[in-house]
Amino acid sequence: MRFANRLTLLPAVLLALAMFAVPVGFVLAEAVFTPELSLAHFERFFARPAYLSIFRNTLFVSAVVAGICLVLGYPMALFIVSQPPRRRPLLLFLVLVPLWMSILVRTYAWMVVLGREGIVNGALQWLGLIGEPLTLMFTTGAVYVAMVQILLPIMVVTCYTAMTEIDPGLVRAARVCGASPFAAFRKVFLPLSLEGAVTGWSVIFILSMGFFIVPALVGGRRDVLLGNMIVNQVGQANWGFAGALAIVLLVSTVLLLALVRLIIGRFLYSPREMQA
Amino acid sequence: MKTRLLPAFLFALGVLFLFFPILIVAPMSFSGDRFLGFPPKSWGFIWYEAYFSDPVWLAATWRSLRVAAMAGLIAALAGTAGVVGLAKLPTRWRAGVTGLLLAPAIVPNVIVALGVFILALRFGSTDSEATLVLAHAAIGLPFVVMIVGAAYRQTDPTLEKAARVFGAGPLRAFWTATVPPLAPAILAAFIFAFFVSFDELVIALFLMGGSETLPVRIWNDLRFEINPTIAAISTFFVVVTALAMGLAESLRARATRRQGNH
Repeated sequence: MRFANRLTLLPAVLLALAMFAVPVGFVLAEAVFTPELSLAHFERFFARPAYLSIFRNTLFVSAVVAGICLVLGYPMALFIVSQPPRRRPLLLFLVLVPLWMSILVRTYAWMVVLGREGIVNGALQWLGLIGEPLTLMFTTGAVYVAMVQILLPIMVVTCYTAMTEIDPGLVRAARVCGASPFAAFRKVFLPLSLEGAVTGWSVIFILSMGFFIVPALVGGRRDVLLGNMIVNQVGQANWGFAGALAIVLLVSTVLLLALVRLIIGRFLYSPREMQA
Repeated sequence: MKTRLLPAFLFALGVLFLFFPILIVAPMSFSGDRFLGFPPKSWGFIWYEAYFSDPVWLAATWRSLRVAAMAGLIAALAGTAGVVGLAKLPTRWRAGVTGLLLAPAIVPNVIVALGVFILALRFGSTDSEATLVLAHAAIGLPFVVMIVGAAYRQTDPTLEKAARVFGAGPLRAFWTATVPPLAPAILAAFIFAFFVSFDELVIALFLMGGSETLPVRIWNDLRFEINPTIAAISTFFVVVTALAMGLAESLRARATRRQGNH
């Protein structure tokens, strides 16, 4: 019987092994063993300033996109939490609907919006603010706008979930004890919601690191991210180098997240102890 | 009053920003103009006609629907069985196996895609819909494990025990006592997994040389020109997705709420 119970795990485990764990293992093997056992692909990557700058750019863009999402998403989550509980699901629903639109579709929409003949240029010209159309497409700015639009709902939901777990009595207690609304927010609510904010930042950071559709379609030549490089290398049949890039992507994401946890963890746990 | 209005105003701006792309694309899909411009000078269904009369677009759409349906089904079945199996696993094994099942949601698709592609090259199974279905099922699996897992943790284990006490065999007890309360969550998980596959680009891009899925077709088209047909496809896409996801979300919410009342 116990054996039969564990047997139900078999299809899922086989699927995850065959289509996830083993393939990722093969990526590692390809990076190290093609054409022969060496770290040549990694050396090539770390020796070329052009590759390194793409690597730095990927880390930078991901960190900034996650940061912008936090700055925009935290107040949005705060607003939803401030509303009566009956109204919250509807507001959350509004934020979540765009998440269900295909990333390709949303990127296409930004191409339409930001193009030379796009509506932003059209509106600015109609208002007489500009004479010539501005170059909005194929710029770093376009990459940020599109990536933030795609990832923002995830930040709102993560922050919201963390905020609903805060006991509202704590803020009320601070107010009763004479704290101003702002002081109560800053000293009680903010620290308690910080873990959710950091989680949201981390999730968006991870997701951004793997992006390639947005930079490829609305970014300029300098906005290439690691994901684009991997896709390009596969297109040129350089699987060994593509594998090395994939490993760099995976390892750097994990390391950076561990680092963030380590740094943030120090002052994240103190409010927890306060709560207990 | 001022302090209450400002957050609401900012929230509304945020929501507007999130909806902005679709607010632009939907009207444009009904443009009667030959070229893309906003606002359209004339109205019509020419881009919908272009989509529904183009065999290449339709073939890509059917392929995507077929792959997503099979991948969703496999993910939902394997994931649900997996959730039940996980619960009965000794604790020291559980974290590791859960990690394995959830990891495809965290590791970038481009890495999974490269691995599946390298593996498929070895076994000569590139350009195979079966390989694509299985790969999509694997990346849909984490969503099933999360959604069905959340519902399963809230089911009452005494129901199944009661069925056993009254003489039902283990399978029958599972089928008649455990599965029915999970059904909405399983359906919701299927819809999520379906759309994970329907929307997936990079695995299909690497794997399917000759036969494009819908996202691959859109991708190949977008890299060369901004084709207004895509506005029609996008709008159609968004309406179908929104309806299905709305259904999935309400099923999931109802499943969680109902069980919370026990």
